[in-house]
Amino acid sequence: MRRTLWSSRLQQFVQLIVSGLAVGSVYALVGLAFIMVNEATGVVNFATGQMVAIGCFLAVSTSLQMGLPLAPAYALALVAMALFGMVFYAVVFRPLQDRPVVTVIIGTVMIGIVIQNAALMTWGSVPFRPRSPFGRQVIDVFGAALSAHALFVIVVAFLMIGLLYLFIYRTAIGARMRAVAQDRDAARLMGIGVDRMFVLTWIIAGLLTGAAGILVGPMWFADVNMGDPIALKAFAAIIIGGFSSVPGAIVGGILVGLAEMLGAAYISSAYKDGLVFLVMILFLLVRPQGIFGERIGQRA
Amino acid sequence: MKARSALLAACAVFLVALVLPAFISGYGIRILNLALISAIAVIGLNFAFGYAGLITLAQAGFVGCGAYITAILSTTLGLSPWLSIPAAVVGTGFIAVVIGLPMLRLKGHYLALATLGFNVSFVIVTTNWKSVMGGTDGISGIPALALPGWAFATDHRYYYVIWVVLAVATWCAWRIRNSHIGLAMIAVRDDEIATGAASVGVTRIKLQAFALAAVYAGLSGALFAHMANFVAPDDFNLGHSIIYLAMLIIGGEGSILGSIAGAVIVTFMPELMRDLGIAYMIVFGALMLLILIFLPKGLLSLTAIVGRQLKASGR
Repeated sequence: MRRTLWSSRLQQFVQLIVSGLAVGSVYALVGLAFIMVNEATGVVNFATGQMVAIGCFLAVSTSLQMGLPLAPAYALALVAMALFGMVFYAVVFRPLQDRPVVTVIIGTVMIGIVIQNAALMTWGSVPFRPRSPFGRQVIDVFGAALSAHALFVIVVAFLMIGLLYLFIYRTAIGARMRAVAQDRDAARLMGIGVDRMFVLTWIIAGLLTGAAGILVGPMWFADVNMGDPIALKAFAAIIIGGFSSVPGAIVGGILVGLAEMLGAAYISSAYKDGLVFLVMILFLLVRPQGIFGERIGQRA
Repeated sequence: MKARSALLAACAVFLVALVLPAFISGYGIRILNLALISAIAVIGLNFAFGYAGLITLAQAGFVGCGAYITAILSTTLGLSPWLSIPAAVVGTGFIAVVIGLPMLRLKGHYLALATLGFNVSFVIVTTNWKSVMGGTDGISGIPALALPGWAFATDHRYYYVIWVVLAVATWCAWRIRNSHIGLAMIAVRDDEIATGAASVGVTRIKLQAFALAAVYAGLSGALFAHMANFVAPDDFNLGHSIIYLAMLIIGGEGSILGSIAGAVIVTFMPELMRDLGIAYMIVFGALMLLILIFLPKGLLSLTAIVGRQLKASGR
């Protein structure tokens, strides 16, 4: 009797860990998109969450509305998100790039409002339920029923992060991007096409947020208001991990995802988001550089 | 010279506002009341952001603090609104000092994110702490302000309460702006290190600006609660904090009259664009972005530009 109680608790715990890791890796992707843009271009993009929502809905359009099989549907949605990143570069980034940080914050917030309401007009206010490549399949691991989609999300997210790492640290273009992030003017003097690197950064941001949207869709609903909650968690993730640190975004995202799932199950489902923000504010106050970052909390 | 023309403009605006309700019907006056109540919060935000340069995304949270404090005091505890409103103002200022002390060590977008966290947490707490805050249903039955035999229960009557409060708030803001406190705030914004080197307590000045912003927000929220007779978490979410910042930027940051103008323009904008329906928010966002890009000093800078043009053509 006692044994079964314990093993069922353990199974529940494992399930929570897996779903926390899945949600967390989505936050990690969004946090990475945020950090990539901020490091390379100096723009704090408050419309990141709306980009996730657009990615999710583009996949809804290609898979549910156009009826494509999932693989080409996802590919098409990602191509569209890459284009979306380029449009964002031209329409938002270029006019705002040399403005004070607050102008950029408000400007990207306003763009977020435009995107969100354009999505509302396009897709309506009734949420969609995107399907997963694995349906509702569960995988039995020592008695714990793990969602196949959650495992898929974890694998794909880490595959993307690995590819991104190889791209940034092992290719010539990646080296150029890092040079631009370190010193824009020096990079320009070295003959690097700085503007082209900016375009590339926004394309990567589009792909990362697009992938996050595609992956998160089947876990939750596709709702036009989904952007802000996701972006807020991603903010919390990068604050906890360290604002300019790539491993920080990953660890921070995972921690926030786990805190959300475990907090909802064991502490309070109503206050699970409050818990995340409490941790974020504590980090800002006690360790503003995050887990991995350098001491830049004071940087204006 | 410049100060005098601004003072004259302020007096003219307030005199016009005094007779305005005679020409406006029921629904219009409600919107006008909302605009002027927002203006108080925006004047407050101008201390923190316009003068001291603190990017805060918590103004709606502070407005909410004021609204909920007066709501709880005047319903559950049955206090007179004449007492609960000052209590709300003081209480909100106190909350701002408590959270500002640790938070104001942060700068730039770190401060923006921390204050954003406060605003989101405020909504989470008010939504979930049902026994005290009423949850999503909020708190209803908040009494209107009343004198013996005379209740400010209609929008037309309440308008004059708001008018008086806004006039006093504007005058106080103007006095603070021209005092050593206001000058110190601007000095902190322009060059924090040099200001610190001139032995001005930078942290204290920032805290004063932050607390003043919250005091004005608390006043605004308390006035709102006694007009709407009802408060709910949705009126104080992050979106509203962004709207307050947008009002300030559109009017012209660093300007008290600009704060009021921005609040009125942004509050009336949905009414003017009502025909657009659901597309309204798209136009609103795009319009804000255009103003940010092409008129970074706000709509009030248009008057200066036009004035220069007129002068140039006059010659």
